Amino acid sequence: MTNHNFKDQRLTIKKPVFKARLSWLWSEYSVILAFIIIFILSSFISPRFFDIQNQFNILMQVSIIGIIALGMTVVMISGGIDLSVGSVLALTGIMTVITLNATGSIFIAIIVAFAVGTFLGLLNGLMIAKGKIASFIATLGMMAAARSIALYIANGGSISGEVPAFTTIANSKIWMIQYPILFFLLMTFLVYILMHKTRFGRYVYAIGSNEKAALLSAIRVDRVKIGVYSLAGFLVSVAAIIETSRLNSISSSSSGMSYELDAIAAVIIGGTRMTGGRGKVIGTFFGVLILGVINNMMNLMDVSSYLQGFVKGLIIIIAVLFQKRE
Amino acid sequence: MTNSSFLTMNHIEKSFSGVPVLKDVSLHVAEGEIHALLGENGAGKSTLMNILGGIHRSEKGSIFMSGQEVKITDPRTAQQYGISFIHQELNVVSDLKVYENIFLGTELCNKFGFLEVEEMCKQTSAITAQLGVTINPKEYVRNLDASYKQLVEISRALLHNAKLIIMDEPTSALAEHEVEQYFILMKKLKASGVSIIYISHKLNEIKQICDRYTVLRDGEVVGTGLIQEDNLNTITKLMVGKPIIEDRYMHTHELGPVILEVENLTSDGLFTDVNFKVRKGEIHGFTGLAGDGRTELFESIFGYRKKYTGNIKVNQKKLKIDHPKKALNARIGFVPKDRKETAIIKDLSVLHNMSLASISHFEKYGFINNQLEEAQFETYKQQLNIKVHDPDITIDKLSGGNQQKVMIAKWLEVDTDILIFDNPTQGIDVGAKREIYQHIVALAKKGKGIIILSSEASEILKISHSIHVMAQGKIVAQLKAEKTSEAQIMRYATGSYGEGVTSDQS
Repeated sequence: MTNHNFKDQRLTIKKPVFKARLSWLWSEYSVILAFIIIFILSSFISPRFFDIQNQFNILMQVSIIGIIALGMTVVMISGGIDLSVGSVLALTGIMTVITLNATGSIFIAIIVAFAVGTFLGLLNGLMIAKGKIASFIATLGMMAAARSIALYIANGGSISGEVPAFTTIANSKIWMIQYPILFFLLMTFLVYILMHKTRFGRYVYAIGSNEKAALLSAIRVDRVKIGVYSLAGFLVSVAAIIETSRLNSISSSSSGMSYELDAIAAVIIGGTRMTGGRGKVIGTFFGVLILGVINNMMNLMDVSSYLQGFVKGLIIIIAVLFQKRE
Repeated sequence: MTNSSFLTMNHIEKSFSGVPVLKDVSLHVAEGEIHALLGENGAGKSTLMNILGGIHRSEKGSIFMSGQEVKITDPRTAQQYGISFIHQELNVVSDLKVYENIFLGTELCNKFGFLEVEEMCKQTSAITAQLGVTINPKEYVRNLDASYKQLVEISRALLHNAKLIIMDEPTSALAEHEVEQYFILMKKLKASGVSIIYISHKLNEIKQICDRYTVLRDGEVVGTGLIQEDNLNTITKLMVGKPIIEDRYMHTHELGPVILEVENLTSDGLFTDVNFKVRKGEIHGFTGLAGDGRTELFESIFGYRKKYTGNIKVNQKKLKIDHPKKALNARIGFVPKDRKETAIIKDLSVLHNMSLASISHFEKYGFINNQLEEAQFETYKQQLNIKVHDPDITIDKLSGGNQQKVMIAKWLEVDTDILIFDNPTQGIDVGAKREIYQHIVALAKKGKGIIILSSEASEILKISHSIHVMAQGKIVAQLKAEKTSEAQIMRYATGSYGEGVTSDQS
């Protein structure tokens, strides 16, 4: 982000630029600031919070929602929404475990997981881009349909894995860092590169900001949109593998329940605009962490779990209120 | 004449932020008269009517109705004095019934607060009967013809005891046969003693329906009189004003072979049977009134609209263009009008807006290289004189002229052989306009085929070699720039030059 060409110009008009930079810093990275404030407050409130083991616990707890939220970020920057992520996770998980048990091959199970998640995302994309159905409605339909098929296949219950090695995916550590955390960090990095360094990312921002202008810039808007939802589906499948491996089982009725709300909450807290065109992968990353820290604090402080939803709701509303002032 | 006036506006003056838009304007409308208010865009017609409608307040001058001075302070008092406004776009709620539309905001209720549906229907029928039309009050408005939707609006005005109806280009949304229907309504209104102020650009309509006219130019009344006395040419001249001889930017240079050929291009309800050829280095101007179909025509050629028949040939090769990407591959570029809505991506930076249509130029190993983008932008910044200190700021922070230059840079970077500019100087100050004209001419000199769409005939005249005048989706005249004038273009566009296609270019 260096501009060698403009360096000397900046020197001459240093003061207003400095001020502008500061307000720019605030508008772009307010979520990081908010995270730091919450983090410091939490350290003061509870001594156990700062414990390194606790820190990794937080990361571990948010990694699945985090990976889903990355896909949700891309979807929301494109101006859409994906309500089907929770159901798609359940259906993908069911298919993964069934494949695993049938073939005994972890590799094939993972391939099937990727295929199912991406395919369901692709279907979302086709409905939205080609069928011109509003994303809210198309993915609402997918949400109901995918959950229903998962329930039908598993007869409403859970399916457990019969290949013990499968559980190592989510339950192994390098030093103190559990694998899911690494997956989350890796996915964050990849989606960041995709959104900020490739034409796909550039097109997603353009479409979310002004679809007509994007089309008139000779962008294949339909294909990009299909790509966006397929990517979201793929990331859900990664989350599904972790979720299934962690417990060595998946429930057709409760797995992935209301994950879409948590993911959307993280994206919103991270500063992505509901109507598209604006948002940051890094923002979502910290949005996920803020939710994780607050959950963790409430557990440490023995706040009734019934009240945790209330606090989460409050945080979302406060975050959006702050972002309103541009 | 003043004595018999139903409405008199005397010496009205108004300015916006120090710029005078109305200078000593007086207007007289008699009872039961259809009065044409004419003038080019920005002449002050709307401001004058908004003062009458209570939306703006005049700084000086007085308004008399039936001989008594009135103070119109807001739209409500205007309505109380019997003044109604019918706007260009239809102001009806399609999903409500006819009577619900007419009584919208003034519903009749009984003492329990419930709607008196039957009474409202009865009154609706009475009003429409007054206009000589039978219409089911319980019909949904969405099922009505456009002319009947206008009828709903007029009925609403009559319900409020309108004595004076201001109609702002009411026929622009109507088909030809509906216009006839509409004129019958207007004559009925007139017979019942209602006065009408009729704003339109279509001189043949004015000739048909209006009694007198007043022409505004640059905020001043430049002529008024009976329609029959003056021929339409005089009125056109009054509207355009003195022939402004401005520097023409057009250059005579060698033209290359035909690069774009359009044959029998037709799209239902938008444009019909369009034919033209553009040669390398040639600048073609397309002009006409609002709703002439030129934007839709070129959006189709660019592949934004898919439903059309006919042939598009680029370099003698027939192509099926159904997506802008295909147009781009055929080396056609398009700088759209309505910059904010359709051209700039306001959340992207200046830099990213510039590179959006040609990202492949800035990629290395599949990743976008910022340095390449910045270096290229620097070139355009110098070349087009774009004023921006930091290309990483979002484009909406630039002035209109600079935004437009970035859009031009975007298409220069794509480097197409054919470039279409739709209203390239919309909302841009004079200095930037001049620069943009110069760049367009320079592009033509380099051998690109250029097409410019504009509603301003003067602009088209300045830079085009050939001028195509469009009206209702048809090219009604093809003219050589050096052999024509603004007034002549206006006559073709308004249809006051007789019917049929005229051409001086065989």
